[in-house]
Amino acid sequence: MKRVHRSPNLLQKVWQHPQGKLGLVLVCLLVITALAAPLIAPFDPYDVTQRAEKGLSPSLTHLLGTSISTGQDIFSMLVYGTRVSLLVGVVTGLSTMFLGAFMGILAGYGGRLWDTLIMRVVDVMLVIPTLPLTIVLTNLFGKSYGMIIFIFTIFGWVGLARVIRSQVLVLKNSNYIKAAQLAGASKLYVMFQHILPGVSHLLIMSTALTSAGIMVAEAGLSFLGLGDPTAISWGKMLAEAQSGGALLFGHWWWIMAPGIGIFISVFAFMRVGLALEEVFNPRMKRSGALIRLFKSMNSSYIQQIFDDMEERGIPQIEDAMERGTV
Amino acid sequence: MRKGYLLERVLYTLLIFMVVVTLNFFIPRIGVEDPAQRYYPPQGNMSDTEYNIIKQLTKKQYGFDVSPWEQYLRYLSGLTRGDLGTSLQPGSPKVATLIAQRLPWTLVLSVSNMVICVTLGLILGTSAAWRRGSVVDRALMNASTVMTALPSFFLALVFSLYMGFEWGWFPAYTEPDMVASFDFSWRAIVQVARNAALPVIAMSIGGIISYGQGTRNSVIAVSQEDFITTARAKGMSTRTVKYRHVLRNALLPIVTSLGMSVSGLIGGSVVIEQIFNWNGMGTLFLTANNTNDYPLMMGIMLFLSAFALVANLITDLIYSLIDPRVTVGGSRS
Repeated sequence: MKRVHRSPNLLQKVWQHPQGKLGLVLVCLLVITALAAPLIAPFDPYDVTQRAEKGLSPSLTHLLGTSISTGQDIFSMLVYGTRVSLLVGVVTGLSTMFLGAFMGILAGYGGRLWDTLIMRVVDVMLVIPTLPLTIVLTNLFGKSYGMIIFIFTIFGWVGLARVIRSQVLVLKNSNYIKAAQLAGASKLYVMFQHILPGVSHLLIMSTALTSAGIMVAEAGLSFLGLGDPTAISWGKMLAEAQSGGALLFGHWWWIMAPGIGIFISVFAFMRVGLALEEVFNPRMKRSGALIRLFKSMNSSYIQQIFDDMEERGIPQIEDAMERGTV
Repeated sequence: MRKGYLLERVLYTLLIFMVVVTLNFFIPRIGVEDPAQRYYPPQGNMSDTEYNIIKQLTKKQYGFDVSPWEQYLRYLSGLTRGDLGTSLQPGSPKVATLIAQRLPWTLVLSVSNMVICVTLGLILGTSAAWRRGSVVDRALMNASTVMTALPSFFLALVFSLYMGFEWGWFPAYTEPDMVASFDFSWRAIVQVARNAALPVIAMSIGGIISYGQGTRNSVIAVSQEDFITTARAKGMSTRTVKYRHVLRNALLPIVTSLGMSVSGLIGGSVVIEQIFNWNGMGTLFLTANNTNDYPLMMGIMLFLSAFALVANLITDLIYSLIDPRVTVGGSRS
């Protein structure tokens, strides 16, 4: 009997990638933790009525002890913190993808006017100091996660749009797009039928890595006390640990728990993103095209350097990216 | 360098600056209409006429007695005279004075961070690239994936816990007398260095690794170029090839990345400053934000943006000097 060979779908390919497998497993665990938080957490993390003794060390009842200030169960807080991190990370990743794709394609294919307009906006956005403006905006428009997602999206699309635009500029000159245009296809049709599929791999990869970057940013913002004050998040847990005397009393578990939470979730999404990158483009072994994008969420300068180098046509960089880091 | 290129870059930078100034003026004002209501809410025993007078006076003091457009023009004309506005802090200090007081302290952190990142990054990166697959190389590549996932403020807390509180190597919080008693004596300089140790270590670890990785990739890419093979074929010593040919070319992207990181020099340490209670621009900005001191917020943001713009412009120009190919194609983007 002849076996029908079906080419594996995207998820299977990532699963077959050793690094991707680790990432996928961790992402699944995080999602389960977030969904089943009330079942996993042994105590109500919002319970500040001091039913538990304050400042307990880790024990079998309180796996990570209790907070010094309010007696909340730290393990339960850790479990519930997954929700905020995942929600903000993934939703921002998706919304950034939509806005970045739209702006990038419009700039690359929408004509000269749109291109100039969007790229000027990008130039301005890159100069404005992101963190201070985010702080001002959260202060003005209220501290809710909806607002934070909105603000992160407003800043996040810039890097992606630049990547998408340069890819669209390459696609624009390819023969099949020219053929479609000659056959009389409308601009909108070409955008959705030909350009969008041509950049979709970039969009999928960027979503994973943007999510990872946003998780770090959200933790930082919550740490500064600019997150939703009613929700439990890992950044806020770190801030409470610091102000609650974890450092002074040497309660290292109170600091480590949320820190490791942040680390695992960021690491998981990064792994998936990097695996996707290699699946889509095996030639570019860890070329870092997306590490760049990821880093642009933290520090946009690395992104800028490579973009600048590409625009200037400096040969070493393009060659290096073709070859990968070897 | 082409004259046209220089002019174009300068004009474009000015244009972006004007846009940033405008945004800066309007964004922090979205929530504020009447400063009197915000800063001096009416009290029970106050008559309407009394409160009206207070309102009028506050409006005048904060420049709200004219239309927003006039306020904007007033702000612009103030800027041309180097006046960034007046803070709402007690005593109404000038925003520029406050920034000038805090700026050196932030620069202590960020400049030493940058120097450490670049020096150690270059050493690590080149030694990794020249011995591919060695312990240093593998450690660098593995560390880069791990470090990107660890936020620097978490590292700062961990360092503060162990090196600050447990082992007592360095002050876990900035010593309160550091700023007040600073007098350029050796004792004061040593004190600043001790206090800056933890924040700088926490800030620089990620940077060392990303510079290291950048240098490594760049050195590897350059050593595979044809002209390196030619140099070797001509019988040059490995040493000459390494330092004269590879390193010199591999440093080009590092120069750009250095220029780019200069623009983040001042605004990049907000969270770290907050953790260690460091007396810099970051804590100044957070205080301004918490007290709704919007002239101060505007001033700091404008200063940061202007700094970033100038840094980018200078990087561009230096780069076009180092690498003449840059200007051949005309403007970028």
